[in-house]
Amino acid sequence: MQDDARPKLIGSRVQRLEDPRLLTGAGGFVDDIQLAHTLHVALVRSDHAHARILTIDVSAVEALPGVLGVYTADDFSAKPLHATSRMKGYQSTGITALADGKVRYVGEAIAAVVAESRYIAEDAASLITVDYAPLPDLVDPRIAAASNVLLHEHHDSNILVSRKFARGDVAEAFANASVRVKDSFRFHRKTPLAIENRSYLADFNKGKQALTLYSSTQVPGVIRDALAEILAMPGHSVRVVAPDVGGGFGGKASLYPEEILVSLLSRRLGQPVKWTSDRLEDLLTTSQAFDETIDAELAVDKDGRLLGLKAEILGDVGAYSIYPWTAALEPMQVAGFLPGPYQLANYQAEVVAVATNKTPAGPYRGVGRPAAAFVLERLIDMAAKRLDLDPVEMRRRNLVQPHQFPYRTGSGIVWDQSGFTECLELACKGVDYPAFQAERNTARQAGRWFGVGVASYAELTGIGSRMSAAPGMPINTGTETATVEIDASGAVRATFGVASHGQGLETTLAQIVADELGVPVDGVQVIHGDSAAVTHSTGTYASRSAVLAGGAAHLSGQAVRAKVLEAAAFMLEADADDLDIEDGIISERGTNKTLSLAEVGRAVYSEMGRFPLDMRAELDLRATKFYDPEFGTTTSATHIAAVEIDPETFIVTVKRFLVAEDCGRLINPMIVDGQVHGGIVQGIGAALFEEVVHDQNGQALSASLVDYVAPSAAEVPKLEVLHLDTAARGTLGGYRGMGEGGTIGAPAAIANAITDALSHLNINISQLPATPERIYRLVTQAIEGDT
Amino acid sequence: MPMLNFRLLDPALLVDISRLPDLAQITASGRGITVGAGVCHHALMRSPELAERLPIINHTMQYVAHMAIRNRGTIGGSLAHGDPAAELPLLAVLLDADIHITGPAGDRTARAEDFFLAPLTTDLSEDEILTAVTFPNLAAGFGWGFEEIARRTGDFALAGAGAVLTLHHGVIADVRLAMMGVDETPRRLPAIEAMLLGRAWDAGVRASAVRQVREQVNPMSDLQASADYRRHLAGVVAGRALDTAWAKGHMP
Amino acid sequence: MIRKRPITLTVNGSTYARDIEPRRLLTDFLREDLGLTGTHVGCEHGVCGACTVLLDGNSARACLCLAVQADGRDVTTVEGMGEIGALSLLQEKFRKHHALQCGFCTPGMLATAHEILNDAAPLTDAEIREALSGNLCRCTGYEHIVRAVSEALSERLGGAATGSAPNAG
Repeated sequence: MQDDARPKLIGSRVQRLEDPRLLTGAGGFVDDIQLAHTLHVALVRSDHAHARILTIDVSAVEALPGVLGVYTADDFSAKPLHATSRMKGYQSTGITALADGKVRYVGEAIAAVVAESRYIAEDAASLITVDYAPLPDLVDPRIAAASNVLLHEHHDSNILVSRKFARGDVAEAFANASVRVKDSFRFHRKTPLAIENRSYLADFNKGKQALTLYSSTQVPGVIRDALAEILAMPGHSVRVVAPDVGGGFGGKASLYPEEILVSLLSRRLGQPVKWTSDRLEDLLTTSQAFDETIDAELAVDKDGRLLGLKAEILGDVGAYSIYPWTAALEPMQVAGFLPGPYQLANYQAEVVAVATNKTPAGPYRGVGRPAAAFVLERLIDMAAKRLDLDPVEMRRRNLVQPHQFPYRTGSGIVWDQSGFTECLELACKGVDYPAFQAERNTARQAGRWFGVGVASYAELTGIGSRMSAAPGMPINTGTETATVEIDASGAVRATFGVASHGQGLETTLAQIVADELGVPVDGVQVIHGDSAAVTHSTGTYASRSAVLAGGAAHLSGQAVRAKVLEAAAFMLEADADDLDIEDGIISERGTNKTLSLAEVGRAVYSEMGRFPLDMRAELDLRATKFYDPEFGTTTSATHIAAVEIDPETFIVTVKRFLVAEDCGRLINPMIVDGQVHGGIVQGIGAALFEEVVHDQNGQALSASLVDYVAPSAAEVPKLEVLHLDTAARGTLGGYRGMGEGGTIGAPAAIANAITDALSHLNINISQLPATPERIYRLVTQAIEGDT
Repeated sequence: MPMLNFRLLDPALLVDISRLPDLAQITASGRGITVGAGVCHHALMRSPELAERLPIINHTMQYVAHMAIRNRGTIGGSLAHGDPAAELPLLAVLLDADIHITGPAGDRTARAEDFFLAPLTTDLSEDEILTAVTFPNLAAGFGWGFEEIARRTGDFALAGAGAVLTLHHGVIADVRLAMMGVDETPRRLPAIEAMLLGRAWDAGVRASAVRQVREQVNPMSDLQASADYRRHLAGVVAGRALDTAWAKGHMP
Repeated sequence: MIRKRPITLTVNGSTYARDIEPRRLLTDFLREDLGLTGTHVGCEHGVCGACTVLLDGNSARACLCLAVQADGRDVTTVEGMGEIGALSLLQEKFRKHHALQCGFCTPGMLATAHEILNDAAPLTDAEIREALSGNLCRCTGYEHIVRAVSEALSERLGGAATGSAPNAG
């Protein structure tokens, strides 16, 4: 930012540039794209969790009019892609378009029918019969970890990766503790449940021998690189485009077999090939998350100070190690973030990620942090109760204090400055904590099961090249590139490797570029989601886009502004330092000389003879810059919830929910609030409603939206969000990533609130979702235990 | 339709009866109110005839799914589908409705209490359709109550209860109690009805009724709720439905 | 082969005559046969609400309607509600309040909201939430959607009280 320039657009509630098309039904999601001669795919999927495939009988299909062919793994020679990892002892698994000889989870695709319409393709798919030789179903991760029956025969065991963390002296900490609290925590499986189901359209151009894959993906750059390898094609001949994408939340951030499949088919058949998941397929095969069992114990001194923490973390990562994040992603993050935003020097954790005959696990908003926050925040409340300390006061005593940054946690993560204590105080002020407690007490005295809960957390966002979302994963995602260019008409285009899927990056990144250049925000066209538009890209995930793409936008915007001013200075016979740009007009201070960007553009590109030769080498109004924050930023928040439980039905109602967060400088406050709201509601879903359920044979019982219960507007209260809005120190622009925070704090805050509401029965919530059924059981046991 | 979309049904012939005008009438008579099978839930909710004589029906329709479903789902469809956790089968049983059926063998009428045989199984033969439902008038001054518990607004009930009663000299002179979602079909609970006759709905009677409801029902376990929890809820919804009916029965 | 049937229907004010298979869903007909891809498919079992359209002015799940059932009827999809540069009241409010993020649930949400406005009854925020409970959104957390609908309803009713300030908090 120019020293004397005040940002006009950064920080303001600019209405989104994406909205007009999305509001009028003119968006272009993958399934909306209709190319001539497109063929459609329907998949035959395994109904066994673990079995060898003996025969696939397609004889009834062959004659069906409109069917072009049926394909199985034998029809393709592409080699399996492995997500590699440098973690010691890690065992990788291969990803193929179709199951090869064996199925490892219910829903794994075995055969693909290609037909003129999806209707015909499904007709044909229903006529295909598969003969299986069942293998033992390894559904319980503890059993799978110990079993000699291997999901992947080349492995030594079903443990895909394990690791121990240790820092300080945990044994001594526990020996000296006044209070020790422990529990076995269970965070049940979830699915991201974007409203748009996954959809892929591959278009292979026979003449150019080049593939374009339209994919509802968050990571077009990752998919492009992976497909180029799998298809053995040069990168310049593989293009992955993520057009409008209907939500991702991590479920669209990995490589899927169906992406490989449609690409292979289109190349084979020379026609566009489309596959769109239906919701049942989505519930079976989109990557799932949050499936952890965590046995943890916290040691605390008589003043409530945290002394030590130890944990055993068992992650159920499903049948395959997801690309590119690997199966280590979530379990390792649970361990990494378990010490939380607190002063805690002594920490010990053992993490095991086990393969089971279930849907592969992958990223979901918050990744390992929601489970970590749930566990630690529950333990802190348990300790506070034992010491008769107010939960807020206990956190106040233990949060890393402002003067202690940078702070290295027990897991080795370093928190740089962030408003941990400020968020706690702001949240308390926001609900008027004493009045909040008084309301709770009055309600309790009247016999109502009313409770309040607090949760504080911190996370790393906008991570740069020195950090990794998952240790040892095969690609480094620490950099983002921006190209800003002005053409002969004076129009501004900014191109990034990110892939917006709801976060409004077409607007927020335009705000940054517009402020740097001095143009109106709707004059900046943001290009994203296209692997061919940039030399290299990954996409949008892990709360990185504002920090990394925003930083790169500042740098390239500044560079182009300098070039504009250099050209304009020459044209106006003025000094570049005396020029301002506002609303696309360059003016010389103290004179009435002006130029429009269009005039500069035309001069530079179409009247270049006006400029001396030695100026022209650098004269194009274009700059590409990359930004690597190296480490990234710390983002933090405190969530406060009030719940009421019906003492007869055990249904939990969230009465109030407030967040105070530090997400650095806000680019667009409206968009930030929207992200927090969305995360909170997914967090409420995780706390109260959502659960992927498998039976002991690995059959997915939560097979429709009637069974997998996501909250509607009626199940959630008004949401209140307060911001610190102070620039982060370590990143260009002062932004912090903030897209995931809502899901991190909400389950923990609600678990604490429910526990508070049930405190008269001494019930501790150690399992989420806290469904009415579970609360019924806990209450019944507690009451029967008393009699 | 979901069953069709899931390819669980594969009919050779599908006949759309939604536009037959004869099926779309609501007629009030001396006997009661006859509702054509094609009347949609939204129309039930807004029906002035029902609001005047059987407001429990108008009230209960708000629990059926969501507006977009209520605009197209019909009473005939709901009854013929026979979901044990659905509101209209419960109301038919509670209100002792007559279900009018027609087929190649002619017209017949089945009583609601005989119509629901098992989950998703009714007395309708393969070649019959349901044409109308008659809800008989209730005694003047009746009180009514309906209560259902679901995970979310509009979801299928985990348990539900409907009650209607009339009072005489401060005690229950006549009462009906029916339950949904806690057995294979919606059903009345005659043993509890008998116990309540001549009693006032006081704390002791309430506790006894709730306990007996729990003993009487035979709920199933599924993903959303265990049989034990449903059994527990059965007592809750029955108690609350009767609370409301009792209070309304006192109103002039 | 399944025998096709002729249908004629009005969509967003224009009349279309087509021959289609009876099993073809209204969603697929609108999206593929008429190219009106604004109506989205989220679940095909009537729960998510993304496919909600107005059928003879009343909200309906297009995924639970066979296209042949729309014969002779009047369908309004999101494309019939407003245009870029001439947004409807609801579309304006959605934009103003940031009531959409990825935009996939939005057409169905707008259809339901249209019905709320057409019913022209003052509603509290809780009642608005209940009326919207048949449309799932995973992005917005519903907060801004409720504000947008509340403000639109207020304006439609001519500034009459709706029981709770739309922009509180």
